[in-house]
Amino acid sequence: MFLARVQKKVVSSAKHKAYDGKTVYIVQPVEPDGKPKGAEWVAVDYVGANIGDIVVCGGAPGVARDVFHIDLAPIRTLIMAIVDKIEYAERK
Amino acid sequence: MKLGIVIGTVWASRKTPELTGCRLSIVQPVSSELKAMELPIVAADPLNLATGGDTVVYVTSTDATQAFPNGFAPVNASIVELVEEIG
Repeated sequence: MFLARVQKKVVSSAKHKAYDGKTVYIVQPVEPDGKPKGAEWVAVDYVGANIGDIVVCGGAPGVARDVFHIDLAPIRTLIMAIVDKIEYAERK
Repeated sequence: MKLGIVIGTVWASRKTPELTGCRLSIVQPVSSELKAMELPIVAADPLNLATGGDTVVYVTSTDATQAFPNGFAPVNASIVELVEEIG
């Protein structure tokens, strides 16, 4: 899983039926301090995230099948949580 | 999933039976500003969604096989969405 900022919304005219009714966002992976890191991903929203939110994204083969209960789901990356706060452990 | 632009089509007269009738597109991975990143890849288009110049969402690895009607095909990338607008 990785931390990311929700950047843009993807609007599509034709899509695989597993994507019907789902919101698809472009997310930019970030470091815990909010600095962008690496290339953008496209992710399906599972928690009701909005543009600008810091979220937890992730996915593994077949994860969308379990979450959305669809037999055939070519979905890999999901937005799994909206981050309220990140707490750091004190360094010893 | 990643964002890409279809920049070409691969024609193959002999291919595995699972790919019969399935277009193979050359996809250039892009950023959300549509700037080219990394090297182009070949992606299967089992739903025949995109033609040259279209912006698409493609999915890689095991989940790419899920884009096929029977959930099985020897592919590593599949086109799953035709993008109309990014905003």
